[in-house]
Amino acid sequence: MEPILSVQNLNKYYGDQVGCKNMNMTLYPGEVVGVVGESGSGKTTFINSISGNLNPDSGKILINKDNEIINFLEISESLKRLLIRTELAFVHQNPRDGLRLDISAGGNISERLMSIGHRNYGNIRQTIFKWLDKVEIDKSRVDDFPRTFSGGMLQRLQIAKNLVTSPKIIFMDEPTGGLDVSVQAKILDLLRKLVRELNLSVVIVSHDLAVIRLLADKIIVMKNGEAVESGLCDQVLDDPQHSYTQLLVSSVLQV
Amino acid sequence: MIELNNITKKFTLHNQGRTNISVFKNLNLKINPGEIVALTGPSGVGKSSILKMIYGNYVFQSGEIKINNYKIDYKYPRNIIELRKNTIGYVSQFLRVIPRVPTIEIVMEPLLEINFDQEEVRERAEKILLDLNIDKNLWNLSPLTFSGGEQQRVNVARGLIRNYQCLLLDEPTASLDNVNKDIVLNLINEKKDKGSSIIGIFHDESSRKYLNAREIDIAKISHGN
Repeated sequence: MEPILSVQNLNKYYGDQVGCKNMNMTLYPGEVVGVVGESGSGKTTFINSISGNLNPDSGKILINKDNEIINFLEISESLKRLLIRTELAFVHQNPRDGLRLDISAGGNISERLMSIGHRNYGNIRQTIFKWLDKVEIDKSRVDDFPRTFSGGMLQRLQIAKNLVTSPKIIFMDEPTGGLDVSVQAKILDLLRKLVRELNLSVVIVSHDLAVIRLLADKIIVMKNGEAVESGLCDQVLDDPQHSYTQLLVSSVLQV
Repeated sequence: MIELNNITKKFTLHNQGRTNISVFKNLNLKINPGEIVALTGPSGVGKSSILKMIYGNYVFQSGEIKINNYKIDYKYPRNIIELRKNTIGYVSQFLRVIPRVPTIEIVMEPLLEINFDQEEVRERAEKILLDLNIDKNLWNLSPLTFSGGEQQRVNVARGLIRNYQCLLLDEPTASLDNVNKDIVLNLINEKKDKGSSIIGIFHDESSRKYLNAREIDIAKISHGN
């Protein structure tokens, strides 16, 4: 099996400040990679740099699309935008950043479909209902505005909106960050099921090691813009080798 | 087949004065297909550490671990992920699951990795839950509120729903009454008869005898301290 996404020696600076430095990652189909670290460690800069939200200064991002390797940083802007709409998806911490609040729930889901050329109203409506069902939002809410939704529903709507075009690679920045714990559990369960059913590959940023432990196969631990340790998620959390990872793991409160 | 050759394992605690704790030196072990090996020795001697090294959770500093000739190397996590998906099952002492997920789905999950027929997988999960005396009324509830013995049986169900070639069992019967303990031991024996290589920690001698396990006293074969 070949990696679906491979990041090599990626660097992003803000002036002379390091955003993230010398980052490497391989992501295989069906795999979840967690990125952890304290605030300011460069997690969000990293995920934004590999998903097309930020332009990194140097490095390589290789995306495997139907066995063709695409050099993401060297393709045209229009091809890049097409890839972002079809192969990639980005789930924001705050669903309000990823949704349009002034159009209906159904309209939010159909937007990506229409942007890649779907026009048949009946088919689009069917797809919307299928996705509302998958993310457990009642069909009767299809024409309601997102502003009438709870935080957990908004996050599920954002996930539906992103997955409707069957992207292969999903980026998530603290997807359960603003949610209370009972809603967080539901979202985690949903994400795990979707990863398995759709063979999604996911890069997820979180400061919550428990969330990463439950979702991720592999982990990257960041500090000051660099990866200090990476590997199998269980191994890095159970037998961390780097002093910073040891500190991070031993600082988690036990419930 | 599980093989450990000349394993050295130590922990370095960087934030606690760089303390070095040596666990194993020159540890050798081999578990053949259709065999059960029981690790014995006082607590803290490293019995669970051996299971965790085989499962890829713990790093070792030198030597090699082979599962059916595939090497366990923490530098290649993808290989360990594949081995876990296809070859190695692990029943830990503790149940670690997403809150609010029903028991039946937790038990189905490992089998859904390789079998996509939801109905067939559900039937298999129901069967093993019945075998393990988990009340039907509990199947649609999260196991996090269950008793210790029930949680342990859910863990066992999850580990034994598939026929892994290698099975790692960390005290799978520790909090069970005698009736349920015998049920679990019989399930383990079935896996052995199907040719699994099984290594485990069983706190009571009667279980080890019942399983006809080859006992290995870790304190005698490694020289960590």
